[in-house]
Amino acid sequence: MSTNQELKSDALMEQMKQHLASDAGKQLTKKINLVYQINIAPKNIGFNEVVYTVDLKKGEVTKGPYEGGKPDATFSFKDDDFVKVALGKMNPQIAFMRGAMKIKGSLSAAQKFTPDIFPKPSKM
Amino acid sequence: MDMRDLVTGGAACAVPGSSSSSNPLAALANTLIGSSSKIQENKEIPTSITPSSERQIYAESNDHLGALDQPFVDPNGPQHSDFLRGFHGSGGGGGQTELDAAWNDIHPPPQLDHIYDTHPHPQQPILDGPPQRMLSSLLHSFVDSSRGGVPFRATPLPVLGLSEGDKQCIRDRSSIMARHIFADKSEDFINAQVNALLCSLDIDGDARAKGPLPGRFRELDDYWNESQGTLKPGFHAADGWVAEFNQQRMVPGANGWASEFEQQHGANGWASEFEQSQLTSVDQMRGSNISSLAAMEQTRMLANTLAQNDDPKFQNSKFLQFVSKMSRGELIIDDNQVKQTALPAAGDWASEYQNQYNRSPAWADEFLSHGPDQWVNEFTTEREQHGPVDDQWVNEFSKLHVHDWADEFGRQVGEGALGENSTDNWANAYDEFLNEQVAARQRSDTSRGVYVFSDMNPYVGHPNPLKEGQELFRKGLLSEAVLALEAEVLKNPDNAEGWRLLGIAHAENDDDQQAIAAMLRAQEADSTNLEVLLALGVSHTNELEQAAALKYLYGWLRHHPKYGTLAPPELSDSLYYADVARLFNEAAQMSPDDADVHIVLGVLYNLTREYDKAIESFQTALKLKPHDYSLWNKLGATQANSVHSADAIFAYQQALDLKPNYVRAWANMGISYANQGMYEDSIRYYVRALAMNPKADNAWQYLRISLSCASRDDMLEACDSRNLDVLQKEFPL
Repeated sequence: MSTNQELKSDALMEQMKQHLASDAGKQLTKKINLVYQINIAPKNIGFNEVVYTVDLKKGEVTKGPYEGGKPDATFSFKDDDFVKVALGKMNPQIAFMRGAMKIKGSLSAAQKFTPDIFPKPSKM
Repeated sequence: MDMRDLVTGGAACAVPGSSSSSNPLAALANTLIGSSSKIQENKEIPTSITPSSERQIYAESNDHLGALDQPFVDPNGPQHSDFLRGFHGSGGGGGQTELDAAWNDIHPPPQLDHIYDTHPHPQQPILDGPPQRMLSSLLHSFVDSSRGGVPFRATPLPVLGLSEGDKQCIRDRSSIMARHIFADKSEDFINAQVNALLCSLDIDGDARAKGPLPGRFRELDDYWNESQGTLKPGFHAADGWVAEFNQQRMVPGANGWASEFEQQHGANGWASEFEQSQLTSVDQMRGSNISSLAAMEQTRMLANTLAQNDDPKFQNSKFLQFVSKMSRGELIIDDNQVKQTALPAAGDWASEYQNQYNRSPAWADEFLSHGPDQWVNEFTTEREQHGPVDDQWVNEFSKLHVHDWADEFGRQVGEGALGENSTDNWANAYDEFLNEQVAARQRSDTSRGVYVFSDMNPYVGHPNPLKEGQELFRKGLLSEAVLALEAEVLKNPDNAEGWRLLGIAHAENDDDQQAIAAMLRAQEADSTNLEVLLALGVSHTNELEQAAALKYLYGWLRHHPKYGTLAPPELSDSLYYADVARLFNEAAQMSPDDADVHIVLGVLYNLTREYDKAIESFQTALKLKPHDYSLWNKLGATQANSVHSADAIFAYQQALDLKPNYVRAWANMGISYANQGMYEDSIRYYVRALAMNPKADNAWQYLRISLSCASRDDMLEACDSRNLDVLQKEFPL
């Protein structure tokens, strides 16, 4: 496989997937209980997006649009911006304000989308 | 129908004749009783609004809805007095006495005190002071007027000394802004509003201000039409929102909203964060004491340029993006702070816009409660921020060169910001400015791989800084070692060993950006150094930069005296992970006792998140090199990333036993605890790491998250101000 097409976000999503299987992840699922769809574009929002469904009802991360109906909220990011938000480098509100994060769906659901839901990668 | 009026009718409470202003108790009664009837009224409102019905609706909203939203508005707050200033000033000729009378009239309304009594607000100064302050107050009351649905009226002001350019700028911007904030109202109403504003400022409303934008900005017209058209579905959304709003309101009671807001964001949390970042960027932009007036000058020049230019490239679609960005920028004044709005999706843009809009008053109140100066800062910041974008945009599309301030800005942000995709670069840089509270300048440079030296370095002039640096590094005094090594590479910029050790020190200090920057210099000096190549591979892996990481790891193999023959040079042009992994496996078979091969292999498996294989490789390497603390940390990090946090903590502990000042391992400990939901514990480790290296930005960010998750919002301020004394006292390890 070519690593050139890998998104940074892929690593975070993979970690999220495993995280949701852990105890902490299960608590998170219980606490949030919403389904987010996250569209991540390599460079420009809306182009060549990779779609992830972060299902915090069932505790799953899957590639592709949500199939169980309508997600509670859908976010669109650039790869780098998603990483920044997930790692707490950029406040989601500021991201939204700057247009780095687009939101569709319920705003009250979107509000629960905070950096703490994502596990943080450790560094070698 | 008008969402703004529903949410923000608070501003309407100042309207003479409305029940809310003259009688606070009646307002309270309205709040309690009137709200139930409100939904019905709103349902009757047709979705397509004719100007005649509009008037009636506003009247209603003043009577019933204005009162409803009283709790949103702190009558002591500056926002209110701003409004008063605008309104009463306009009504009676702008005398201060009249304003005072009006102020006394409504101040202090008793029923609201309990909500805000934790934050006593300074009273807004009267409409005087420096021209800038006055201008900002006026503009603010203009924005406020959208909330009450009350026409904004002209206010005579003292002479502000606005230049023609300033005027033109204000004229252009206010007409743009008005079309956003009064998007639901008729064109006539908007024009009246704008003209009132311009009249106050003694600006002639020209064609731009009076009507739709002129023909040469046709795309801009389309943009407005589109944005206003797509808003129409929002009216349905509005009803849903109203319903939800009422539920929210009725259930938790009047101060439910306020307390929820505080819970979520901490007292003043968001506002202070925003302020801080805004102020940081002001400082940043101002670098060399550009006054805010100079910033206004910049915007003025842009406005002139735009107005005079007929270049067809304006029609480029990026123009739309630009306008959209700009208008979004305008809305910053008035938006953000996600609040209790649940809208059925009514078309992306519409709902996003509506959302931004609905939240605006909450945000504005919060923002304004921080004192009158903030708005001024905000206003000037806005202008400064737009200046550079505008400039770059102009340069890019019209090839017009507005030298002075482009140069000024270029000097401050660095060369890269003025590159090809200048708008994007600028936006990126801006994000970074916003998010850097201390080292803003550094970050924007390091992200481009430029090493940033410390300002004050006691080791400059040291006879042998390299030796000193090595000694300090051995003792585990990483931050000191960094300084000594910086002195070394300042003295001998081609010393690969100096740069390499500097890079390692940064990596151990949990600063990969600087580590990469230093290692790149080391590689320049010595392109085949294996340790450098490995370190670059590791750091890029940490930063999730896969392609770069793969390049360096392959470089390691290619330059290795023993395994170099395995690596065909032509492969480096198109690296595929599978090929590289295969070659490393061959190398590992060639010499199974070479710990380094296993280490690189472990890093490589991390790249593709084959963590089990990575753990195996590191464990093999550890059997050969059991005292390599960085290897224990690599093992721990891999285990943590594959959600074996308990194992990871054991590995980190091994690393710390071998090297007690290993900041990265301390920070990783914190991450592992946080990922297990043990936030209290994670805080202690983050604080420990930061005590050793206060420049570890990641740890600060993670600490902040852990503090909020552990409900220690009381310590957020200490975190934001990077007050380690307080944090260490509170969270000893």
